[in-house]
Amino acid sequence: MNWSFETLKRIQTQKGVQGIIIVTAEGIPIRSTLDNASTVQYAGLIQQLVMKARVTVREMDPQNDLTFLRIRSKKNEIMIAPDKDYFLIVIQNPTD
Amino acid sequence: MSTSTEKLRKATLKVTPSSRKTAGSTSGLLRVNTRSAAASHSRKSFSLAGDSRLLEKGPAPVTGRGVQVFDESGNDVTPRPLCHPDPATTQPRQTKIFAAQDASGASVSDFLSTTFQTTNTSFAGPFTRSVLESSAMSRSSQSTMESLNDEIEDSSAKCSISVSLSDLQVKKEEGKEVMREDMLDDVVERYLTETGTFWLLDMPAVSVSVDAAEAESVKERNRAYIDLCKNRMGNDKYVERGMQTFNGALKTKELQSEAVSLADAAVMATTWDMYDTYSSDGGVGEATESADQSTSPDIILSQSRESSKTPERTMSVLSSTSMASSLSSQKETAALFTLSEDKASPQLLLQSEKFQQDLCVMERVVLQNIFQARLAAYRRLPVMKDPDTLHKPSETLGVEMGAVPPAPALELLWSFSCELTVGQSVSSMAWNKKNPDLLAVGYGQFDLKNQKPGLICCWSLKNPMWPERIFPCQSGVTALDFSASHPGQLAAGMNDGSIAAFSVQSRERTAVLDSSECPHKHSGPVWQVKWTDQDSGPWGEDKGETLVSVSADGRISRWILRKGLHCMDLLKLKRIGSKAVRKQGGEKTRRSEAYISRQTAGLCFDFHPRDPNIYLVGTEEGHIHKCSCSNNEQYLETYTSHKGPVYKVTWSPSCPDVFLSCSSDWTIRLWRQDLLTPVLVFTSLHRAVFDVSWSLRWATVFVAVNEDRLEIWDLGANILDPTIVSSTRPGVKLTSLLSATQTDCVLLGDSNGHVGVCQLNDLGAGDSQAGALEEIIRTTLQSNCN
Repeated sequence: MNWSFETLKRIQTQKGVQGIIIVTAEGIPIRSTLDNASTVQYAGLIQQLVMKARVTVREMDPQNDLTFLRIRSKKNEIMIAPDKDYFLIVIQNPTD
Repeated sequence: MSTSTEKLRKATLKVTPSSRKTAGSTSGLLRVNTRSAAASHSRKSFSLAGDSRLLEKGPAPVTGRGVQVFDESGNDVTPRPLCHPDPATTQPRQTKIFAAQDASGASVSDFLSTTFQTTNTSFAGPFTRSVLESSAMSRSSQSTMESLNDEIEDSSAKCSISVSLSDLQVKKEEGKEVMREDMLDDVVERYLTETGTFWLLDMPAVSVSVDAAEAESVKERNRAYIDLCKNRMGNDKYVERGMQTFNGALKTKELQSEAVSLADAAVMATTWDMYDTYSSDGGVGEATESADQSTSPDIILSQSRESSKTPERTMSVLSSTSMASSLSSQKETAALFTLSEDKASPQLLLQSEKFQQDLCVMERVVLQNIFQARLAAYRRLPVMKDPDTLHKPSETLGVEMGAVPPAPALELLWSFSCELTVGQSVSSMAWNKKNPDLLAVGYGQFDLKNQKPGLICCWSLKNPMWPERIFPCQSGVTALDFSASHPGQLAAGMNDGSIAAFSVQSRERTAVLDSSECPHKHSGPVWQVKWTDQDSGPWGEDKGETLVSVSADGRISRWILRKGLHCMDLLKLKRIGSKAVRKQGGEKTRRSEAYISRQTAGLCFDFHPRDPNIYLVGTEEGHIHKCSCSNNEQYLETYTSHKGPVYKVTWSPSCPDVFLSCSSDWTIRLWRQDLLTPVLVFTSLHRAVFDVSWSLRWATVFVAVNEDRLEIWDLGANILDPTIVSSTRPGVKLTSLLSATQTDCVLLGDSNGHVGVCQLNDLGAGDSQAGALEEIIRTTLQSNCN
């Protein structure tokens, strides 16, 4: 348990990390380093996207499943680790 | 008998509501009948009483007399029964009933056949009256039982049959009471017979087969008819005449019913949905429902899942009932699951194994973003420039290295360090044999005066900011080696002479094996440990890897695992040459005894890459001994040249006969196995050379580290001087060195706890193979001879 917290702190202090959000599968944020509005917005949008991505992967091969999702944009990169119970979202701008 | 009575009872129950409706009428009617007919009165009243009893059973309000009739003014005009039932007379009736049943046996089946009619029909008052009258008439002509049968046989007697049913029911029940009292265990015989066929509808066929007997006559008649039809035209016998029929008066009738409710149901059968359903085994409800929960809270998906399950269950077109039932059951269990989850999360969520794994991966991904260029350079991948951002020059971290001449250069890519390791001195490093990205670094002081607890960190290339595993040790770590046959085992030698083995696969911080309790453990710092593959141990049993260690107490021991660590001495290092005992501050003194039994500290050893039986040992005296595992008394060869303790001996990975040694006498010497004098001697600075290592990529390149410099020697380019020299920051000493496979990099450990990864750029060594090295040696020898 401590290890989880320590790792979260370490990720938070890495270069360029703008925010970390942990959301349950229902879309309720458990932990976030961003403000509430952004958190809720991210949670809702990313949930839909992850679902779509998962359907895409599984439709091609039902034995496959989505393990990680990275969205690279001009300004930053959103990295999502989805699971059946939660989503772990990290937003980073690595070139700061 | 019980079944028949049950059926009868059922029939009566069905009949009861209707009989209740017409109860008043029946009783009234009956009374009429009793007055009119000359039947057995007692029996009629009986039926009344029977009715009343039935009614008592029903939910209708009941007095002792059953139905109550009130006129407009509210007076109770309930007809009173003419006579009361006489229990004495019932019994002969019952017996007669049974006797009759035994005899005829038709009544039961008759009842069964006629109950259908009774239940399916509705009662009409006048009809029943006529029926009853007819039945009464029929009754009157016969005895009790026979009249009963006639009633039954009269299929149109519906109401009466209900009455008669109730009669029989009552009688049967009374008979049952008697039965229960007296003859419970009697075996009763029942005869079942079939009635005659009741013709309900008889439509004789219009067509006749050609082969039938009357075919001829039929044909004749047909012909006659046709002729008649023909003659009809213009025949005076037949006159056309019009008639007007009355049309029936039309009447509109309205009917109202509940609107048929329609519900849209959508099914999305996706391939993965079907796969999930079938793979989680249809029939195991929980598994499928947990799979339900697992996908998403999205309604569409969950509904599709639920509805896609019904084909599995019904295997037919989705029927609304089955879908409704499955949906309801799914929702129930779904509700259960959500309840349980709400209680557990989010604390459990954050502690779950999967979450930790995801965190680990996420950390690596984030770091990969930061270190991408450097890792790519390490892995000899082309470094991609980020198209979205400006290209910035790479930063330098940690130790600053001054670059020497532009082409061949040393570039520090990054350095492994964290807050735990700051202040510790790197003493040894080892790559994992199976996973070339895993690096174990041991931290411990060389200085024996101030001993600090040591540390072992396992770093992964994918995470240069934080070690994957941290093992705290009681004393400083001086040697490390990963096992090849058990890639998760890491052996560590310590300053206090103990050897520990750790398993890096688990997150446990304690050693798996420890030699602290071993009676023969080393009494001096263990300077090197190595896992070697032995073909056959001296005991003839241990095939496989064993751990060999050399320590300052002059023993080279092999450790085996047999209920703990046991060691067996391979060799005891003896002194050669009558050198005086030198005391060095803090170090243990050697026994100053007779020449034969003097022992010298071993500082390093290396097994021959091709022959695991032969190994070299470097001692503190400066001798290098070639020894064999099978001979633990004598040395095979002794190479004497160094004037100071030999810190490192290493075979060349490309040439099987060549080895390098470095010592504190400022020299590095290149030897060939068969020559007792070094082939080449390299010296650059007047500093002790702590470590030397062949490059794994180029056969003629080796790297050496002295106190404050890293030197890269390329024998193909220059024998006298190192090709690349890099200095460290003042105050930081370089203590350890490690070459890496698959890459151009070299790992440097320093006294600040940093392990720097330096890339050798543009060395210009090309793909020099062993031949080049041998060539150099040969030419050197020739030139020496000359």
